[in-house]
Amino acid sequence: MYHASGVVTMRFPYGPAALSMLVLSILSGVWLAFNPIPPKKATLVMWTFAKTHYDAYKQAIPSFEARHPGVKVDLQLVSWQAVTSRLQAAFLSDLDVPDLVEVEISAAGSFFRGPLKDVGFLDLTDRIKQSGLYDRMVQARFAPYTSRGHIFGLPHDVHPVMIAYRRDIFDQLGIDVSKIQTWDDFIAVGRKVTIPGKRYMLELPDSESRRFEPLLYQRGGGLFDPQGNCIMDNEIAVQTMLFYVPLVAGPNRIASDLGGGQIFTRAVEDGYFLCMITPDWRSKTIEVDVPKMRGKMALMPLPAVYPGGRRTSTWGGTMIGITKRCKYPDLAWELALHLYLNKDDLAQRFRDTNILPALKEAWDHPAYDEPRPYWSNQPLGRLYAQLAPDVPFQYTSPFVGTAKGKLSEALVACVQYYKQNGDKGFEEFVRKRLKQSADEVRRLMRRNPY
Amino acid sequence: MATRPTDISIAPTRAVRTSRWFVLQYKMAPYLFVSPFLILFAIFGAYPIVKSLILAFYATNGPKSAVFVGLQNFIFLFSDRDSHKAVWNTAVFAFWSVFLQLPLSLGLALLLNSRWVRGREILRLAFFSPNLLGQVFVGVLFSVLFIPQYGLVNRFLHFIAGVPLDTKWLANPNLVMPALVLTSLWMYVGFNMIYFLAALQAVDKDLYEAATVDGANAWHQFWAVTLPGIKPVAVFVLVMSTIGSFQLFELPWIMLNNSAGPDQAGLTIVMYLYQTGFITGDLGYASTVGWTLALGVLMISLFQMRVTGAWKGGD
Amino acid sequence: MKTFPRIVRLLVNLFLLAFAALTLTPMVWLLAATLKSPDDLFSYTFFAPRLSTYNFRDLFSTVPFHRYMINSIFVASTMVIVQLFFSSLAGFALAKYDFKGKKPIMILMLSTMMLPSQVLMAPLYELIYRMGLVDSYAGLVVPGAVSVFGIFLFRQSILQVPDELLHAARIDGCSEFRIYWDIVMPVSRPMIGAFCLISFMGTWNSFLWPQIILHKTERFTLPIALNQLVGLYQQQYGTLMAGTFLSVLPVIILFMLLQKEFIAGLTAGAVKG
Repeated sequence: MYHASGVVTMRFPYGPAALSMLVLSILSGVWLAFNPIPPKKATLVMWTFAKTHYDAYKQAIPSFEARHPGVKVDLQLVSWQAVTSRLQAAFLSDLDVPDLVEVEISAAGSFFRGPLKDVGFLDLTDRIKQSGLYDRMVQARFAPYTSRGHIFGLPHDVHPVMIAYRRDIFDQLGIDVSKIQTWDDFIAVGRKVTIPGKRYMLELPDSESRRFEPLLYQRGGGLFDPQGNCIMDNEIAVQTMLFYVPLVAGPNRIASDLGGGQIFTRAVEDGYFLCMITPDWRSKTIEVDVPKMRGKMALMPLPAVYPGGRRTSTWGGTMIGITKRCKYPDLAWELALHLYLNKDDLAQRFRDTNILPALKEAWDHPAYDEPRPYWSNQPLGRLYAQLAPDVPFQYTSPFVGTAKGKLSEALVACVQYYKQNGDKGFEEFVRKRLKQSADEVRRLMRRNPY
Repeated sequence: MATRPTDISIAPTRAVRTSRWFVLQYKMAPYLFVSPFLILFAIFGAYPIVKSLILAFYATNGPKSAVFVGLQNFIFLFSDRDSHKAVWNTAVFAFWSVFLQLPLSLGLALLLNSRWVRGREILRLAFFSPNLLGQVFVGVLFSVLFIPQYGLVNRFLHFIAGVPLDTKWLANPNLVMPALVLTSLWMYVGFNMIYFLAALQAVDKDLYEAATVDGANAWHQFWAVTLPGIKPVAVFVLVMSTIGSFQLFELPWIMLNNSAGPDQAGLTIVMYLYQTGFITGDLGYASTVGWTLALGVLMISLFQMRVTGAWKGGD
Repeated sequence: MKTFPRIVRLLVNLFLLAFAALTLTPMVWLLAATLKSPDDLFSYTFFAPRLSTYNFRDLFSTVPFHRYMINSIFVASTMVIVQLFFSSLAGFALAKYDFKGKKPIMILMLSTMMLPSQVLMAPLYELIYRMGLVDSYAGLVVPGAVSVFGIFLFRQSILQVPDELLHAARIDGCSEFRIYWDIVMPVSRPMIGAFCLISFMGTWNSFLWPQIILHKTERFTLPIALNQLVGLYQQQYGTLMAGTFLSVLPVIILFMLLQKEFIAGLTAGAVKG
């Protein structure tokens, strides 16, 4: 034990393995000490989870900073979990949160679970009403971000829904789009053109409810009502289910789905399904994912449920909120307005993303009338803008996530039943099954003491 | 020394130095050495256990606010369809883990133990290596391997058995559990094999000699010598595997992209706990679930040990 | 023992070889995937004719991956040292001393091993929150600072140390701690090696507790960071695989170095008791 330094490892009683652990620990600890997390230098920190938004805002921020000398805005692109579960946990545990956050529509409800005073976002109701924004923006779009009468977010979009279709194949088959006014018309055409296994009229999944919901909203239904009661088993929901399931299952089906990504691209190119439910954001996705169909696609409004009825719906959405922790709420409010209200920026953003902003007066800009070669030279913006004021209301709840999941489960069960038994007793089954799912959500809600 | 002290307790009095300090530090030593465990246990073990029992009767909104709800949590737990699904899924997984994995591990160990196997060390390393990756990284890897059309699993199965290339695994409610079981087989068969191998090698060779002399054939020898010989290890592996299966969380959580999967096919008890406690924020309900899990696991482990007759009260 | 016919022996060897190859295939695929450009990723089953470092470059330019790696190294190695110290000390006490309360303490330790840790997570989180340790390295390391599994491993191994050594040392006037430090530990190096690997592996791969405790992305360890990567860059499988590969490499390297000790240590606990 008294040898020279050549035998250093022998002196350390734990041996070489543990010695290397100790060395690693010290080295990495020192590195971390000398490379601490840089403290917040910016005046305002903003999070967004969508790359398209990030790119657009990055361009808009310099003009804001120019108008407010000395103000620095730190815009960060973060993961999905960061703006859902992590943000809520951070609110509840007094951890660091940003000043402004963009939140997606399906996640917004989870922030409204506890008592109103614990909601991590600033109550924007007064600001919105006083600035007149409540009338200048599509009113239906405030509902998903409202809890107990208080508005916590500014809507980013409207997301009206149309149907994208293979215009070239429609022409080939001699289908006159202007004759398709209602779903009955649509289904009649669908039955004629569907070749099982090779060609379907419409893309609809049978294992989850994401495209079921827009159809539910079109009929004036929803998951929750303005008071927060669960209404996913009411008459409208039942009718929607009775309408939807025979489209995707059974002898008269006219719809199918395969998945996303490269599989979707192939399907559209092959004409595997001719029509797709397409909110404005999805039209851009289709443009990017299926470039070969340029000039061969077009858009038509959603068929109405009854003649003269609503010809659109809504799917998706984002809000921007200001956290209570923000030290400069007025400045943050100004930034939000700057990002969401500047008409020229919005027009450019529309060109890049096809997304219609919630601000109605922005739609007067000529950019919305530009013909789009991909869509057979249709003025995509104008088409969506015409439908935008009709977009249905969508009410939220802290249990939106659960309700969506249970709706998917109910859909799967109804599809199974229909595949096995057809129409026999189907309506009764649908009623029972939806009631079961809704009751489960209600039980969960009753447990919530807040 | 003329006399060697054989009893620890009399050693100090025979020692050359009988100073107070020496005796004192000898007496205090074990308590001192065990004290870190005791202190940490008191703070991070005992306190949470007790708090957990209390929290189970509350509903909370994160760690800050709590509302007393009495037995509501328990009533809800027993009637909620999701919790039933979680228990069912976990039980199914545990079943396959025990009845599929363990025999495979044992079989592999038996094969590997044969005297004429070449390259035993390398083979052992190969079979064990999947375990090194950890559930999270295995989950990420296999979520890509199970991709329909392009993933390795479908390509392989299509190649050897003509399984359709576009079979959806993780998006198909009926194939989620098989995918999970397969992945965990990959991870743990080699791990348990190591235990079995060591146990096999520790069986007294003389017993086999004696059995051969008595005229027993290979099959007989397996039942009469091998199995009893490895029984303690087998029970250990059985109990550990069961406890481990009931704690399944990371693998399905990562593979199903931070969700319970289609139709909640991948929902496990710990996932249910995590979702209700740390995503919804109700720490009280999470405590309820946690306690139910703990009691369930305890009962099952005790049952297993009782049934296999391996309960040696103490160690 | 038995002499089996040649054909059986050959078949068994072949089977084992094939099965080993099958077991290693996903890992080979992983390695190959990290070196394929995005276009080639699914065009070739394993390796592509042209190797590409795109995935690694993309990985390091999109996220501070080096930071996550160092976080993991720091937490894992610190945890190993801390656990090593506390567990070996307690294991030594249980192996070489008889004291009042020894039996109850051992039963207590055994029962904590049977208890799934998830029971405690909810109140533990509340406790850590009240201590102000949320989103800190201390919150990660301190609750797990003593490994009961380790205590029993060391107890098992130290039982083998001949008592005479200790007696001789006491007669020489060594304090108990010096006995532990200068005699028992150096003799137990194989078990220490095994424990280092077991402990390192456990902490390196742990997900649930860090997921609950850590919030700032800069403090993330590799499992949490990789999980986040899945959501952020959903279709960039190559980058994801590069991250996965780098995350498993350290443990694999460590295992290569400590193989023998690891296997001996792991099984010692089970085989002998």
